[in-house]
Amino acid sequence: MQPGTYQFEPHTAEVQFRVEGTSLPELFEESGYALAELMLGESPPEPPRDAEEEQVTLESADTEALLVDWLNELISRADTKKRVYTHIVVDDVSERKLRARIRGFTPEVLKTAVKAATFHGLEIREHEEGFNATVVLDV
Amino acid sequence: MEPTVEVPQQPTPLLRQIGPALHELDMSFRADMRVPARIVADEELLQRMTQDRSIVQLVNVTTLPGIQGFAIGMPDMHEGYGFPVGGVAGTLLPDGVISPGGIGFDINCGVRLLSTGLRHEDLKEVLPALAHDLARSIPTGFGRHGRLSLSAAELDRVLDEGVPYVVEVLGLGSREDLAHIEAGGHLPGADAGRVTVRARERGHDQLGTLGGGNHFIEVQRVEHIHDAEAATAFGLFEGQLTVLIHTGSRGLGHQVCTDAVRKMDQVLAREGIRLVDRQLACAPFSSPEGQDYFAAMCAAANFAWSNRQVLTHRVREVFGRRLGERAEAWPRVVYDVAHNIAKVETYGGQQLCVHRKGATRAFGPGDPELPSAYAEAGQPVFIPGSMGTASFVLAGQGESRSISLGSACHGAGRQLSRAAAKRQVVGAELRKALNARGIIVECPSNAELAEEAPTAYKDVDRVVDAVETAGIARKVARLVPLAVLKG
Repeated sequence: MQPGTYQFEPHTAEVQFRVEGTSLPELFEESGYALAELMLGESPPEPPRDAEEEQVTLESADTEALLVDWLNELISRADTKKRVYTHIVVDDVSERKLRARIRGFTPEVLKTAVKAATFHGLEIREHEEGFNATVVLDV
Repeated sequence: MEPTVEVPQQPTPLLRQIGPALHELDMSFRADMRVPARIVADEELLQRMTQDRSIVQLVNVTTLPGIQGFAIGMPDMHEGYGFPVGGVAGTLLPDGVISPGGIGFDINCGVRLLSTGLRHEDLKEVLPALAHDLARSIPTGFGRHGRLSLSAAELDRVLDEGVPYVVEVLGLGSREDLAHIEAGGHLPGADAGRVTVRARERGHDQLGTLGGGNHFIEVQRVEHIHDAEAATAFGLFEGQLTVLIHTGSRGLGHQVCTDAVRKMDQVLAREGIRLVDRQLACAPFSSPEGQDYFAAMCAAANFAWSNRQVLTHRVREVFGRRLGERAEAWPRVVYDVAHNIAKVETYGGQQLCVHRKGATRAFGPGDPELPSAYAEAGQPVFIPGSMGTASFVLAGQGESRSISLGSACHGAGRQLSRAAAKRQVVGAELRKALNARGIIVECPSNAELAEEAPTAYKDVDRVVDAVETAGIARKVARLVPLAVLKG
């Protein structure tokens, strides 16, 4: 897999994707885009130019928990704000903290409703070209 | 269409048969097992389980602190996250653990069956209009909220009091409904104060909504009665029109689980708990985190029963509108039972926290928790098939308590991933095929239709046969779909 990409993998009941990033911010951004594709279908549209920019700041136990919390934040905002986020800028990810800016829109139809991100089999691995992870979502 | 999962020719190692359709994996299989793993299945279902990680996940469950007797996999068991879907485990109170992953994100996802006094053959003409009206009256799409607008205080009362509040104060339903819902639609351990603001925000406008995924409302016909005595007790007869509602606690329940997993993940070290899968995050039932989660889970369970109650009210409105206010057109609640829940139950004098994730309680005749009309028959258990296939009504057997902690399966069980289903099935063609069989489909998305195609699931008849052969529950009636409404 190329850095800065994600790919859905087989899982009997849920949805699993593998994500690659040259950096942790890119890994987190791509994970957010994987979620958006799952919710909206391939090549989801950008939000309108005047869509509100929302700030996200998170602090978690470790980087894996941060990735779970990040995806759960996007999932939870989809319910409360009725938005799917297709413009994602992760400004900073340290071992335990994240700062990001996101913009989204309200689609007519949701392709897949996502309940939550899980820790199942989750490990963020660092390698020569960056980072990768495999995430299971409950759908 | 034939399933395409390859069945291996080799027998599963270390798994021995201990009863009809009942197998046990010995503790010597893995050093960290605290109890054996049991699986209810015939040989073919068992072989299919070896095709994904469900058995490994069941073995992981056997390592939970405080687990008693055995972990059990139902015949529809398949790979999930943490617990397998179709997994059951009881932990000894007060200090055995409670694990949110052993209930799942959709707390009190469950099934309610409504019956009418009508025969399908008398309603063929009006059925398309009835199905369309149901689709219009029940919010399913993204961003669609329920028609109920609850204040924060009213939401608190739904969470604390469950269906009795919805019936007696909001006026949605009748008192007779309460006797036909597991726990009367109210778990007394609920505490709205333990449900986070975020969970309330996710759920406050979702009462009376169906949600997506495998949730549905189906108008059905009773095709065959297997057990006339129990069917009479449940008020079921051949040719009868019934309605099955399958949904849960929506975003509120999802967030209760998310919040608890996060919190418990952070106290594992304090409690000296080492896990083979972090999604099995847990805490002793008696710990502050265990008590917080149990009270919030009970509140989410009350919300889910209330959700199915509000949906029942909507179904009744539609039936009244389309069929008139005659007594036989009034959909009566046969029963409502959860398949994602933790309950405190007593086995052999010991109090256990019984986790059922994708498993249905199946208590036998004479159990004090049953409505008096069902005391001789046993508890109604509903097994929805996949879209377009049969569903079953079963009656719990007394032996279920010793065989499977009073638990049965909850559906057909997936055998194909959603992506594989979409590769094999074209949604538009499936819609046509169902229509050609006289089944009305109300679902906006062909892609979602394909994900839930019958071929993606195991054979529900085989799954139910395994439950009956094992002595957990017996078949009472087989229902076939007439109209399917999906989120």
